[in-house]
Amino acid sequence: MDSSKDSTFVSLVSCDGFEYILPYETACVSGTIRRMLDPTSNFAESRSGRCVLEEIDGVVLEQVCKYLVYNYRAKNMTNVPDMDVPAELCLELVMAADYLDV
Amino acid sequence: MAAMRARQKIRAPRQRTGVTEQEAFEDAWSMISTSLTEIHTKNSSTISFENLYRKAYAVILGGRAEELAARVRNHEETWVSGSLKKTVTDSISKFLLLAHDQSAHELKDQSTERQAAGEKFLNALKTTWEDHHLCMCMITDVLLYMVRNLGDPSAYFPGSGADRNILTFLRQDRITAIDRRKPTIYAVAMAAFRDKVLGADLHTENEEVKTTVMEVFKSTVLFMIRLEREGQLIERNLIKHCITMLENLYQSTTEEEGSKLYLTDFEPAFLQASQDFYTAEGERLLETGDAVFFCRAVSQRIWEEQERARTTLSKLTEPKILGLIDDVLIRQNIDQLVQLRGAGVKHMIDNAQIEGLQIIYTLNTRVDKKKTALCKALTERIVELGREINTSSILGSTSKPDDDTQKKNEKTKEKPANQQTALAVKWVNDTLALKRQFDTIWKDAFFSDLIIEVAIMGSFADFINMNSRSSEYLSLFFDDNLKKGNKAKTDIEIDALLEHGIVLLRFVKSKDLFETYYKRHLARRLLMKRSASVDMERNMISKMKVEVGNQFTQRIEAMFKDITISEDLTRGYREYIVNTGGADANRIDLEMTVLTNTIWPLGESKLSGAEDDAGYRNCVYPREIESLKQSYEKFYLDKHSGRKLTWLATLGTADIRANFKRSSGKVQRYELNVSTYALVILLLFNDLEDGESLTYQDIENRTRIPKNDLIRNLQSLAVAPKTRILRKEPMTKDVKPTDKFFFNNEFQSQFVKVRIGVVSGGANKAENTEQRQETDQKMSEERFGTIDSAIVRIMKQRRQLSHNQLISEVLAQLSARFVPDVDMIKKRIESLMDREYLERLPGAIYAYLA
Repeated sequence: MDSSKDSTFVSLVSCDGFEYILPYETACVSGTIRRMLDPTSNFAESRSGRCVLEEIDGVVLEQVCKYLVYNYRAKNMTNVPDMDVPAELCLELVMAADYLDV
Repeated sequence: MAAMRARQKIRAPRQRTGVTEQEAFEDAWSMISTSLTEIHTKNSSTISFENLYRKAYAVILGGRAEELAARVRNHEETWVSGSLKKTVTDSISKFLLLAHDQSAHELKDQSTERQAAGEKFLNALKTTWEDHHLCMCMITDVLLYMVRNLGDPSAYFPGSGADRNILTFLRQDRITAIDRRKPTIYAVAMAAFRDKVLGADLHTENEEVKTTVMEVFKSTVLFMIRLEREGQLIERNLIKHCITMLENLYQSTTEEEGSKLYLTDFEPAFLQASQDFYTAEGERLLETGDAVFFCRAVSQRIWEEQERARTTLSKLTEPKILGLIDDVLIRQNIDQLVQLRGAGVKHMIDNAQIEGLQIIYTLNTRVDKKKTALCKALTERIVELGREINTSSILGSTSKPDDDTQKKNEKTKEKPANQQTALAVKWVNDTLALKRQFDTIWKDAFFSDLIIEVAIMGSFADFINMNSRSSEYLSLFFDDNLKKGNKAKTDIEIDALLEHGIVLLRFVKSKDLFETYYKRHLARRLLMKRSASVDMERNMISKMKVEVGNQFTQRIEAMFKDITISEDLTRGYREYIVNTGGADANRIDLEMTVLTNTIWPLGESKLSGAEDDAGYRNCVYPREIESLKQSYEKFYLDKHSGRKLTWLATLGTADIRANFKRSSGKVQRYELNVSTYALVILLLFNDLEDGESLTYQDIENRTRIPKNDLIRNLQSLAVAPKTRILRKEPMTKDVKPTDKFFFNNEFQSQFVKVRIGVVSGGANKAENTEQRQETDQKMSEERFGTIDSAIVRIMKQRRQLSHNQLISEVLAQLSARFVPDVDMIKKRIESLMDREYLERLPGAIYAYLA
């Protein structure tokens, strides 16, 4: 992700260094990330197109990204099957969700 | 599955350890506060959102959300009252401050400077506001986690609620003591802006006048709007932005819709200013005294204000300002406007200024769904015009009796009657023209508005009924168009005219009176064979049937039936004559019309006096005619026994061949078409030698023709210059009992066939006063009967009815034919009680007795 302004993709970085690249629109399913990247506010993240999420580790972030994609795709659909979430991650995911406002 | 899952280990969230909470908090706060300043100074690109967010997150998880919020609030308030206030107050120039104190008049010359200063100020305000707004949005974003947990989240971030519900329980044990009623950071910052910046006191040189930024702002914006109203260009966008600012600020921290600063503070001021402006404008425009101009100006203003509300101010204001204009400009002025002398509605109607009327209509509709003012003006004008038409026709009729009494000359006697007929036709034509005029106006200017239509119709009905002779005139109009000799008009034209006439008939209240007249005129047309075409007559009747109803035309149709039957009878009679062998060459050909007594309005001669009544029946017919009459009576009574034939000589005509012996010895033959009475008179002269004469007395004794008819016939035979079959001595114009009559052998005419009309007997003419009285009298007698039968019908059905109910039902039943007055109904009720049809029960209730 080099250019920031016309970036159609953004990268989400976990605290342990995993980097996930998602389309801008998809990442914006998360309210926190959307604000982070809001061009009018002009924060460092929106310039670089790279969000370092210190609160979240790689495993959880992977699930988060899966969910973002899943949510984005299923946005305008009804009767979408539930997404499978590994049970052992559920608490951490709930916290991440709270943090990311999804 | 549940068992399987239970065995799996759920990873616990990471625990935070290390630094003590207090240290961590201070640490985080110093970082946050510097970041906030950075944001305000537009250096946000240097700071990481995530970092900031995470700090706030940590603080809140540490249970110190309250403290953080309080600190942020403080920070913001300091910032606003310091830096922002300064920027704004600096931008206010002396001009604006001075301007605030001065009246608008003195300012005219400075308006350019003031406008420039105002724009500068507004620009500064706008930039400050927008920056502030943006910063606050960013800060809210950054501290979202805090905001979410402090305020009511759904109020700020609607739509993402569903999956958050699961979390609430999680939060509840971690984040305690949350006062949800505390205003949010955003609201606090906004309030700070309101109080510290807009509410900032400004000290002018004159210490006593204190004013605030808000005041200056208001006066500046109002000034700008005023400039625009006066036709100058202003920065609409700028104002719009400032207005948006006001719309986003609230009077109270609870942020209810109604407490928007715009609504509570600016709008009333704006409306007040507008009201003043438009009141003045209304007066000014009225003084110009041109309704069209006024209306155009108002329409223009309305459009402008609409535009202004949309582009410059708030949509919320649009209905209010429009309502204000409606009220101030239109409602208060419309009456005057409509009545304006020389330029009001009256003027427009007269000059067919459709456009002006259109605008007035639109304006009036805005303020008054019923369009009272306009309707009133229209009604007044129609009635006024109608009255003119009425008076012009009445003027003509009043002038007539004078002529009548002064000159007994037969020519002048005929003329006023003709004139009156012409007047009647003119009256109808005028009325029709008026109707057409208003129809056009109604269609073009009032968009075929229903209420207006009702008003127009109503006023037409009013003035038509104001003329007591409208039914007669209308009938005369039909007669004029239906009778022969109207060669100038084509069938289609006549049809259209009749159609219009029918429209007028709708307005006539005394339909029974019209029926009487129409029948009388129709009878004349049919008997004298004056009708242009039977098709046209039938057409007319079907039109009336559609308009007034079946019952109305029943009798008229019966008249047609009689005519048809009579034709058959005549044919039958001819055959009968041939069969009985009486067909000699000298036989007089007879054409009879047998009329049903009750249907035909033949009462005229009966009504003209009892002595005549006896006379006309006993008229002595000459031998030839008498035998013919008897022969026909025999024929008819053979067919229909039990009927009685009454001979109405007044209505008959005869074709005779007359030989005139010229003094030169030649014989000139003419064919004369004369009335039956004239025939009888002329036959008397058959028995006379040349040079012998008959006196009036002789003729009257020998024929026993009623006096009136005799005089009229003698006049037409002996006085009318073109048809002087008889010579009279002395040659005066009126007939005296001692006058002598000679057969005029010197009669000359350029035609072989000569038609000798009976004076004022032939054509349908307007009635004179006497005749009208008779008709009226007859009419009211007929009405008595109609009312009686209506009352009886109603009572028979209802058995018991109160006085008022009965009267209203009677009125309803009879309204199709005429409008009886209540007194008349009361009298009829009395009379019915006398005759024991009804009885009066206690409590003004009538009961039917049968």
